[in-house]
Amino acid sequence: MIEVKEIEKRYGRKKILKGVSFTAEKGEITCLIGINGVGKTTILKAIMALTPLHKGQILIDGKPIDKHSFEKITFIPDSLTMLPHMTINEAMEFMKDFYTCWNQKRANELLGFFRLDPSSRISSLSKGNTAKVNLLLGLALDVDYVLMDEPFSGIDMFSREEIANVFTSHLIENRGVIITTHEIGDIEHLLDKVVLLDDGLVTKEFSAEAARENEGKSVIDVMREVYQK
Amino acid sequence: MKKYLQLVNFEFNRIVKLFTVLLGITFVAQMIGVVVQSRSYLNLANEKMYKEMMPQAEFLESFGQMSFLQIAKSSWFFGPIALCVAGVAFYIFFIWYRDWIGKNTFIYRLLMLPTSRLNIFFAKITTILLMTFGFVAVQLIMIPIEIMVLKAMVPNEFRLDLGVMEVVTSIPELTLIFPSSIMEFIFNYGLGLLAVSVLFTGILFERSYKWKGILAGLLYGALAVVVLLLPLLLHEFVLNNFFYPIELLVLEIIMGLLVLSASIWVSGFLLKKKVTV
Amino acid sequence: MNVNFNNRDPVYQQIVRYFKEQIAIGEIKPGEEIPSRRELANRMKVNPNTAQRAYKEMEEQGLIYTEKNHPSKITTDNEILGQVRTELLVEAVDQFVTSVRSINVPVEELLDMVKEKYTENSEKEV
Repeated sequence: MIEVKEIEKRYGRKKILKGVSFTAEKGEITCLIGINGVGKTTILKAIMALTPLHKGQILIDGKPIDKHSFEKITFIPDSLTMLPHMTINEAMEFMKDFYTCWNQKRANELLGFFRLDPSSRISSLSKGNTAKVNLLLGLALDVDYVLMDEPFSGIDMFSREEIANVFTSHLIENRGVIITTHEIGDIEHLLDKVVLLDDGLVTKEFSAEAARENEGKSVIDVMREVYQK
Repeated sequence: MKKYLQLVNFEFNRIVKLFTVLLGITFVAQMIGVVVQSRSYLNLANEKMYKEMMPQAEFLESFGQMSFLQIAKSSWFFGPIALCVAGVAFYIFFIWYRDWIGKNTFIYRLLMLPTSRLNIFFAKITTILLMTFGFVAVQLIMIPIEIMVLKAMVPNEFRLDLGVMEVVTSIPELTLIFPSSIMEFIFNYGLGLLAVSVLFTGILFERSYKWKGILAGLLYGALAVVVLLLPLLLHEFVLNNFFYPIELLVLEIIMGLLVLSASIWVSGFLLKKKVTV
Repeated sequence: MNVNFNNRDPVYQQIVRYFKEQIAIGEIKPGEEIPSRRELANRMKVNPNTAQRAYKEMEEQGLIYTEKNHPSKITTDNEILGQVRTELLVEAVDQFVTSVRSINVPVEELLDMVKEKYTENSEKEV
């Protein structure tokens, strides 16, 4: 379980996170929803210790993050984390060199799944394919938790569909996933849990299926209620 | 340790292009220097001896023999060395900033590697050292080759042959790069390593705290200089030449190690707790 | 297995309902193997946890059964299969009755109309 406890973060004078708390379970897809600039990316970065916090604490399976955690949790940002002049093969080689949890079999499977040519240079890829390479490099790690920043934004419809398929496959199964999005759109059915963020705080944390079952409300209905109050 | 070596290998591969280009420029420019300097000397000799009918002995007396020093003092020789020095100086900064700037955010990957983040620091500083020693070593190989070309161009009687050591030790600027004693080597390159470690710390301050970080970096640099000079200053101004030279040296080495450890510790802390992507 | 889910009913219930409909129209036969939950999630584009929940619900209702180390199968219990048919039918009729009641037609007239429409439609289909 990932526990985010009362985290606070300022950029200059501006408070971005004013005490955000939520949890994300293993084996579930948790979605952070909020408008752009609400600090979703900052939360993911903070979980990975890529940016310092002013207050609060984040625990992964009960422990603060350290160097060993990176074999258990990975982050797929919305920009590429490999050198552009590398080929996909070289990028995979790099991952294999540095991570013991790298799973080449899974990587090959993902290559097929996304129909990527491993000899192509990363800088020559389309936006959709770049996003897929990014996903590939993250998902081929045998980690318990995967964080994805806006995996669906700014890419073409077909890539979107292919990426959505990842979420219903064994590639994600049994892992804990946190994704961020500013528009829930067609991924409603993929989510287990929704965390709504507004003005630096969690305004609501709920199970998508429970909202439908108990209140007959879609995720968007709940959002409408929360944001239009 | 294995991850550190992998990182060094990786970082070095990233500069190999720049490195070879600079070496290529150095080699070509210095070769041109050898040819140009030799030619102009020979032209001068021709002019004096055949047009003005100056006897060879008189020519050698008034213009001297051609030696490698004339080449080594020309900008054909020094220019590329300065370029390499500038290259290293530039790369000290670029080796960090290249991971942050532009579209690719490779720093994410580096910071998410399952290894101590200090290894990134060590790998980058090692790369700078490797680059520096690489230039120095190749330069040392180039000089004898250049001397050979000189020998082929200028006839024996017009030439004063010097060994590599003689060339290197007779130009003060070169002794900085090619120290003649072990002590000097430790001193020059130790100081260089210290400077790089302090600069790296400064860069990490900036990467952690942006504008305030620049200030913190400058303060840290100033502090490092003061600590390093402290024994000398005390010796000179407070204690009235209290120390023997050897004691002073030991003190300086201790201070140097202190500054180096402080840089490593602070950098490690910043990388682990404060740096932001 | 293309299902258009609505966003307001629990997805797992929509899956259960889909299976019931398929059983009722004979698209899925009694005793037939059903896809694994992973396969189902993939084909229906839902979260594997949801697929799991749907199967659990179907198991509880006796619609499917699992023998050790075998894929789950649709029940062959005629009583349950009959119930499914009745359940869907009752539901549909209930809906129909609710919407028709507001128009206030005598029941005989309504039944005649239903009969006429129903046979007309099935003749067309044939």
